[in-house]
Amino acid sequence: MNLANKLMTGRALLLALAGVSISACVTSRVENIRENTTGLSEGEGIVIMAKSYHLGNETEAKFIACVGNSIGRGSSALRVVPNTEFVDALFPWFEPRTAPAETKGLPALMSRPGVAEKIREKGIRYVVWLDGDTDKVAGGGSMSCAAGPGGGGCFGFAWWQNDSNYEADVWDLSGLEDAGTVSADVSGTSFLPAIVIPIPLIARTQNKACNALADQLKLFIVSDEAV
Amino acid sequence: MAQKFRTSVATLIAIGIAGCGGAKVTLHNPSIPEPLIDQLPLSVMARYPAVFDNFVHEEKVLGKEKWSIDLGRSNRILFTRLFDSMFTDFEVVEGDVDSKDLTFDALIEPSIDAFEFSVPSQSQTDDFAVWIRYRIKIFDSNGVLIANWPIAAYGKSQSASFGTDEALRRAAVLAMRDAAALIILQMDKATGISKLRHANAPKSESTASPAPEDLTLQTAAEETSLDESGK
Repeated sequence: MNLANKLMTGRALLLALAGVSISACVTSRVENIRENTTGLSEGEGIVIMAKSYHLGNETEAKFIACVGNSIGRGSSALRVVPNTEFVDALFPWFEPRTAPAETKGLPALMSRPGVAEKIREKGIRYVVWLDGDTDKVAGGGSMSCAAGPGGGGCFGFAWWQNDSNYEADVWDLSGLEDAGTVSADVSGTSFLPAIVIPIPLIARTQNKACNALADQLKLFIVSDEAV
Repeated sequence: MAQKFRTSVATLIAIGIAGCGGAKVTLHNPSIPEPLIDQLPLSVMARYPAVFDNFVHEEKVLGKEKWSIDLGRSNRILFTRLFDSMFTDFEVVEGDVDSKDLTFDALIEPSIDAFEFSVPSQSQTDDFAVWIRYRIKIFDSNGVLIANWPIAAYGKSQSASFGTDEALRRAAVLAMRDAAALIILQMDKATGISKLRHANAPKSESTASPAPEDLTLQTAAEETSLDESGK
C-alpha cells in the first residue's frame, strides 16, 4: 500500500470514528414491571392503542404505528390487530371519551352487548395502551446561510436534545387484569455543524424508543415468567 | 430575460402567498361504524334542518390564513346511521311533511348550535381540534317538546402524522364519532326517550306543532360530560 492510499484509509477511518462518536449520543433505559403472568396461545393477538387525549395524552400516531409494525415483524413477531379495525369493530366502546381508563372498568365493558363476542372473534388477548411523547428539551448554537450569484453556503453549529419517554400498559382481556407496564426513556443530542455544507448528525430518539419498547413488549407478552 | 425574471418573481410571490393561506377541506362520509348496542324498542322519526345537507364552516386566523371545512351531508349520514342503529323502527321525515299525519313514539330534531376548529398556528401545537355543539330536540307523538338536550363533542388529530388537510378531516370525524358515542351512552338518561314507548295517544289540535324553545317542559338542559370510563 502506498502512502497516498494509507493516508486515504486513515482519513476515512477517522471520519467514521468521529461520525460514530458524535451520532452515538443517545442513551436509553427500558424497564418493565410485571403485575401478572402473561403468555400468548395460538391465534391470539394484541392491539396497540393510544391512551385517550381526554386524559392529556399526546402520543404521536406515527409512534403507535411504528410500535405495531415492529411487534408484528421479525422472527418472534406477534399478531397485531390494527387499532382502527379494533376501535371500529367495538364502536363506541373504545372511543377517546368512552374507553376504560382502568382495568376495573373491564368487567362492565365486557358485559355490554356483543363486546366479549367481538373481542373473541377478533382473537385479541392483550390491549397495549401507549402513553408519552417526544419533546425537544434543550437546544442552542447558531447558523447562518447565504446565497449569491457565485453560489451559497452555511456556517455555524446548532444542537438540540430530544427526550422520548413512553410507557406501555398491558391489559389482559382474558383475566380482565393489568399484566404490567413496559417503559422506554431515550435521550439524545443532535448536531448540525456547517462549513459551507450542513452535516446533520441526528439522534433518532423516537425511532430508538419505538424499537426498544417493541422488543421489550414482545418479550414481556410471550414470557411465562412468574410474578 | 427580463420577462422570465418577472414571471419567476411573480410565481415566487404567489407561492409565498399561497403558503400563508389555509385550505379548503371536504368531508363526504364520516365513516361511523355500526354500534355494538341493543336497540330501543321505539318507533322514531327524525327531521333534519336544511343545513344538514350542506354544512360549510370557515375559520379565519387573525391576519394569517383562512380555513374552510365542507361537511356536505355528513351530519345527515351520521344521525341517520346512529338512530337507525339505536331504535327498532326509524325513519327520516323531510322538512315539508306535517308531523300530525305521522305515527311515531318520538320525533327527533337534531341541529348544530356551534362549530369551531383550531389549527396548529392558533394552538401553538401540532394539533387540529374540532368542537361541535349539537342540540337534540325530542317531541312526543302529540308534538310536545319533551327534551332539549345540548351536547358538546370534541375531536383532535396531529398534522405531523396525517398532513394538514387529512388531520382537519380526521379531527372532524373524531368529533362526530364523539357525539355519536355520547348520544348512545347518555340519550335515554338525559332525555327519557324510552318512556315514550307506545305512548301514541290521538293528537290534539292544540299540541300538534312543536313547542317553542322556552317551553318549561325542557329536560336535561345542562351540558353533558362524561368521565373517561364513560360513566
